[in-house]
Amino acid sequence: MAVVSPSETANKSRSDLIAYATLSLMSIFCAVPFFWVLLASFDGNAQLFLHWPQQWTFANYVRVFTKEDGAKWLFNSLFVVGSATLLVMVLAGLGGYALSRTRAWWKLPFLYAILLIRVLPPTALVVPLYKFLLTLNNAEAAMLRPIFGSYARGIMRWTGFIDGYLGLILVLATMQLPLALWIMKTFFDGLPRDYEEAALMDGATLIQRIRRVLIPLALPGLAAAGLFAFMSAWGDFLLPLIFLSSPELQTLPLGLFRAFLRINEIDYGLLTALAFIYLLPAVVAFGFARRFLVQTFSGGVKG
Amino acid sequence: MARNSHEKRAERQWLLILLPSLVLLLAFVIYPAIYSIYLSFTNEALTGAAALRPRFVGFRNYARLFNDAKFWNSLFVTFVFVIGSAVIGQFVLGLISAIALRRPIRFRRVFSSIILLPNAAPEVVAGFMWISMLAGGDNATLSRIVSFFGVTPADWLQVFALSMIIIVNTWRGIATAMILLTAGLSTIPAEIYEAARMDGATPSQMFRRITLPLMMPTILLYMLISAVSTIAVFGLVYALTRGGPGGATEVVSIYIYNQSFTAFQLGYGAAVAVVALVISLILGIGYVRAMKVEV
Repeated sequence: MAVVSPSETANKSRSDLIAYATLSLMSIFCAVPFFWVLLASFDGNAQLFLHWPQQWTFANYVRVFTKEDGAKWLFNSLFVVGSATLLVMVLAGLGGYALSRTRAWWKLPFLYAILLIRVLPPTALVVPLYKFLLTLNNAEAAMLRPIFGSYARGIMRWTGFIDGYLGLILVLATMQLPLALWIMKTFFDGLPRDYEEAALMDGATLIQRIRRVLIPLALPGLAAAGLFAFMSAWGDFLLPLIFLSSPELQTLPLGLFRAFLRINEIDYGLLTALAFIYLLPAVVAFGFARRFLVQTFSGGVKG
Repeated sequence: MARNSHEKRAERQWLLILLPSLVLLLAFVIYPAIYSIYLSFTNEALTGAAALRPRFVGFRNYARLFNDAKFWNSLFVTFVFVIGSAVIGQFVLGLISAIALRRPIRFRRVFSSIILLPNAAPEVVAGFMWISMLAGGDNATLSRIVSFFGVTPADWLQVFALSMIIIVNTWRGIATAMILLTAGLSTIPAEIYEAARMDGATPSQMFRRITLPLMMPTILLYMLISAVSTIAVFGLVYALTRGGPGGATEVVSIYIYNQSFTAFQLGYGAAVAVVALVISLILGIGYVRAMKVEV
């Protein structure tokens, strides 16, 4: 039965050859742009064009942290995106658990709503969002100023809604919530309910159930939801562009973009070193997220 | 009786732990969406007299929109951008990669990792990498490649701006298409192909008669997801061209941004935003139906 005729083998190896050729071309297309960032960032004489460095150096990376405020930008990005990711994981963990287990009438409308929210383009929401946050921000400033006087400005830097960490964290987190809720809901759907029903019978409170059932079992789902939230928030450019203006709050994408705008004196070595620093966490997160990619797009994440 | 009150309490608790998410979504998505409809009926601005005392102007913004050649241009550019990169570019290259990666060849993991890589690049970084690839002058990568084939190089982002952002966005999205289509391909039972091969079907016949029809639900879902996410693309195009030259790449998200934060016309920008929201919602309803939510 399993005899393979010579012509069939020839056919197979020819198809394999076509597959190799196609995938190689595709890989070159996908990888070449990365070479510029990688090579130019270690090049003492970096230019806009891709070329092999004559003198290898770390000076570009050093300049990011000495000449520019690279450390501050990195901290701001990590702090803002990290906080938003944590917030998403907590809220989506709880919310996804509720969405999976409830039998209430609002379950289906809510699920439809978060799918629809996912399709709204952020650019279309950003104008009213800006107005709304400005109102919140002014109200908050009016409240803080009489109490804290001249310290109010420093506090607003952390808790302000416009040009403050809090506003950006909340908005970034909200934009990632629909997907995260969806991932967690499908994740909990795949978990057996025996444990918690037993716990419920034993009279466990909600807090006890969350601590003993939800947290230990939900980790794989939370990891997936967190990774996707991190990647999407890390790569976002629009929200920091609109909601931040002080130099001391600037994040990596803004620092990178503004370094590029200095038309007359673009320092390509610095620019590519900065781009590489910004790129690295995204690629690492993507590497971890890889095994969740298929499940997330084709339905839910299975533990 | 006891069980009933138990369940009632549990239901209240479910709502309680969902509440924070609900509040955030209401405050930062639903409310702004509704607020943008209101704003679109005012002459709200970021500076000047209208900023201090915005007035209700009825349908004036929409009337202006209707006669605004730049608005129609941005809709047209968005349409070409979505068709070119999401519907054709990403789909075709994603499908080719997915099919090629199904063969039991070596280095499959390496190939698929490299193809996934562009998806990980933040928008701004992706934009800069391609500015280097597509820059004017004979030394830019694309210019060198076409010179090798005897074609005269051009200042790519100036002359072929829209085609170039389509290529860049295709590059960035092959991964999503590949992942979804790989999942779709793997649901087709191997026996069907086996049976077709017994009947002497050629590979192209099998592709047209088996693969495509059985993949249709996946393809539809993919098309909707990628169309809505392509309409939302902002940072990539902004970093590459900022909508230029002369509006050639001014997709709707860039147009909204320019009207609102460069021309400071918040009311008018909101009217454009409402159009974008409506288009996305129409596609979104198709997406929700294709997802077949199970409870």
